[in-house]
Amino acid sequence: MKKIFRAAAAAAVTALALTACGGASSTDPSNVSPTGEIKAREISWLLSRPADGAVINIMKKLAEDYAKDHPGFELNLITTPDRPSYIQKLETLAAANKLPELFDTDATPFAQQLAKQGKMMDAEQLLKSLDIYDTYRPGALDYQRFDDGSLYMIPFQFELEFIWYNKALLEKAGVAVPASLDDIPAMCTALRSAGITPIAIDGQDQWPLERYIAYQPFREAGPEFVQELKKGEAKFSDPAGQKTVNWMAELGKAKCFQDGFSAQGYSDAQNQFTSGQAAMYNIGTWELPSLATDKLDPAVRNDIDFFTLPTTAGSATAANEFVSPSGIGMAVNAKTYDPLVSDFLKFALEKYPAEYAATGALSPTTDVETVVPANATPLYQKALDQADGLGSKQAMPWDTQLDPTTNGRLQQELVLLVQGNITPEQFTETMDKTIAQNAPKFFK
Amino acid sequence: MQPNRMLPNRSRTSVLVFLLPPLLLYGAAVLFPILQSLFLSFFSWNGISDMEFVGVDNYVRMFVADDIFWRAFLNALVYLAICLVLQLGGALVVASLLTSLRRGRELIKTLYLLPAVISTVAIAFLFVRIYSLEPVGLLNQLFHWVGLGSLERPWLSDVNTVLAAVSAPEGWRFTGLYMLIIYAALLAVPKELEEAAVLDGASRWTLFTKIRFPYIRPVWITTTIMATTYGLRGFDIPYLMTNGGPGQSSELLTTYMYKTAFTSTDFGYASTISVFIVVECLVAVGLILFLLKRKADA
Repeated sequence: MKKIFRAAAAAAVTALALTACGGASSTDPSNVSPTGEIKAREISWLLSRPADGAVINIMKKLAEDYAKDHPGFELNLITTPDRPSYIQKLETLAAANKLPELFDTDATPFAQQLAKQGKMMDAEQLLKSLDIYDTYRPGALDYQRFDDGSLYMIPFQFELEFIWYNKALLEKAGVAVPASLDDIPAMCTALRSAGITPIAIDGQDQWPLERYIAYQPFREAGPEFVQELKKGEAKFSDPAGQKTVNWMAELGKAKCFQDGFSAQGYSDAQNQFTSGQAAMYNIGTWELPSLATDKLDPAVRNDIDFFTLPTTAGSATAANEFVSPSGIGMAVNAKTYDPLVSDFLKFALEKYPAEYAATGALSPTTDVETVVPANATPLYQKALDQADGLGSKQAMPWDTQLDPTTNGRLQQELVLLVQGNITPEQFTETMDKTIAQNAPKFFK
Repeated sequence: MQPNRMLPNRSRTSVLVFLLPPLLLYGAAVLFPILQSLFLSFFSWNGISDMEFVGVDNYVRMFVADDIFWRAFLNALVYLAICLVLQLGGALVVASLLTSLRRGRELIKTLYLLPAVISTVAIAFLFVRIYSLEPVGLLNQLFHWVGLGSLERPWLSDVNTVLAAVSAPEGWRFTGLYMLIIYAALLAVPKELEEAAVLDGASRWTLFTKIRFPYIRPVWITTTIMATTYGLRGFDIPYLMTNGGPGQSSELLTTYMYKTAFTSTDFGYASTISVFIVVECLVAVGLILFLLKRKADA
C-alpha cells in the first residue's frame, strides 16, 4: 500500500507539474535537421530491452566511439526489461512531461496520442534525412507505423514468430504438422491421449495467449480486423470475431495448453518444450540461440523443427504472412531534439545494422547479412531464410493495438475462456461491451 | 495523556515544537496525497490529455456500472477474512500455547516470526512454486503422498481456489508478528488473578474467556485494527503471484486501482477507487472500535 500511496503522490505531483508548466515549448516534429552547433552533453534512452542484450551492448559501444570525437557526450541507458513495469514508467514520465531524449514504445494508442501532441519526431522524415530509410525492411517499418501509416518509431530488431514443434512427439501421437489453424484442436486431443502436453505457453505474461486470438481473424479477415475492432467498428460478435472466440474455446476444451498455464512463466514454458515434455511452442527468432544451437539439450536437438502460422480455407492472408515484429521501437523526443541528438543518431544508426547482424540476429535493414553462429544447428539458417520471402501483410500483436483497458480485460477474459470458466457467448458480450466503453476515449 | 504531566519541566509549546515536524511529514506524505486523490477523482485524465472535470461521474461509474469493482471489493473482503483468521486466530492460539510451554519458547517464537522478515517478492515466488502443478509443487506433492490425489490441482489457475491461495501467504507471513504482540500481552496477565480463578475451580476455557482475554482486550483491539488495515491494503503478494487472475478471481481493490492508474492510465477513476479504499479503511476501524468497545461495556 505504501507503494500505492507513493504512486498516488507521484501522480499528484505530476498533476501539479502539469498545471504549472503545461505549455513547455517543443521543436517542430518534422524539423529533422536542426541547424546550430553540436554541443556534447549526456543524453538518456529509456528502454525496455534485456540488460545485456545485443541492442544495448552495441549502442553502448557506439556511444563510446561517438564520445571519442565528442568529449562530454554520454549515452545513459535506463532499461526496464519487464514490459508492464516499463509501460507504467513511460506513462508516468510522459504525464510529468519528463521524457528523456530517446524512449522505447510500441505503436500503441498511447504513443499515438503522444505523436499527435507533437512530442515525438517524425521517424520517416528522420530516416529519410539520414538517407537510410530505404535500407530498412518494409515489414520492420510497417510494424512500427500507426494505423494512418505515419512512422514515429525506429526499429532495432526484426523477428519472425514460428510454432516450434517436436517431431518425435508428433510422431508418437500420430499427428502431422497442421495444414490449417482449424486442425489444431484435434491435434491437441490426439497429443493429450498420447500423454503429451500439446502446447507449452507462458501464461503469466499474458501476451503469448493473446497472440493466439489474433491468428484466426488475421487469416479470416486480414490485418484490418483488429484495426477496426479496437475502434469498435468491428465486433467479436462478427463472423471473424466469433470464429476466433470459438476456436480459443476449442483450444481450451482440447486441453491444448499445459495444466495451470496461467501461473507459469516464460522459462517454465520454454523448459517444458526444450525438455521434450511439450510438443509445440510458439516463439520468435529471438530465441534462436536457445532453440537452434548446441545449447539445446542433445536429447531433443534433432527432433526440433518449426512451421509458420498455418492458413485456413479461404484465408485472406498468405502462408508467408504471419507475426513478424520489429520489436519495441525507439522514439525521439521532439522537445529535446537538437543538433547533438541528430548527429548521434546519424552516427549510430548507420553503424548499428552491421554490428547487430554480427551477433547472429536479423537486422531491421536489408543491407547486411546475419552471421550464423558457429554452434548453430541447420535450423538456424532455415529460420533466417524465412525473412526473405515474406508477404506484404503482417499479423500485429493485439497487445500493441488495443487501448490499455480493453487489452487488460481481454487478457483476463481469455484465460477464463480457455480454462472453460466462461462461455464464448459471455466472452463476446463482455469484450464487445468493454471495447464500446473504452475505445472512444482513445480513438476519438 | 497531558503533556505537562508527561514532561513536568517542559512547557506545552516545547512539546508542540517537537511534535510539529512529524506532523508536517505525515501531512505531506499521507494527508496531501489523499486530498489530491479526492481532487483527481472528479476528473477524467489519462496523464497526457487535458484534465476534464466530470463531477461525480467516476463515482457513479464505480458504484453502478463497473462489475470488476464489486468483484474486487468482495474479493478484498474474503482476502481480509482469510488474513484475519490466519493472523489473529493463529496468533492467539500459538501465543496461548506458548505461555503453557516450559522450554524452547524463544526458539518457537523466532521460528514463527521468521516469515515476517522474508522479502515479499521471495514469498510470492516461493508460493508460486508451492502451488504449482506442472512441474508438481510441494502442496500437490503432499496431497499425493497422503493419498489425497483428487485434491491435486493448479491452485493459482483454478478460479475457485486462487483467492484463498493468494491470501494464505499474506496470513502466514504475519502470524508470527501478531503472535509476538499477543504473547507479550498474555505474559502481563497477573498470575495471582489466574491462580485465584483456578482455586475457584475455573476450567482452562473459562480462565481464558473470563480472565485472560478481557485482560488483553486493549492489545487485541490494536492488533485487530493493525491486521484489518493491513489486510484491506493488501497488494503485493496477490499482484506478484497472479496479477489478479485468472480473470478477476484474485483481483483486489488495490490491484484493480493500481492497474486502472498505471496500465489503463485512467488516473481520475483510479483516484476514485483509492478514495473508496481510504473510506473503507476508516469505516472498518470505526466498526472494530465500536464492536469491541460495546462488548467491553456490556
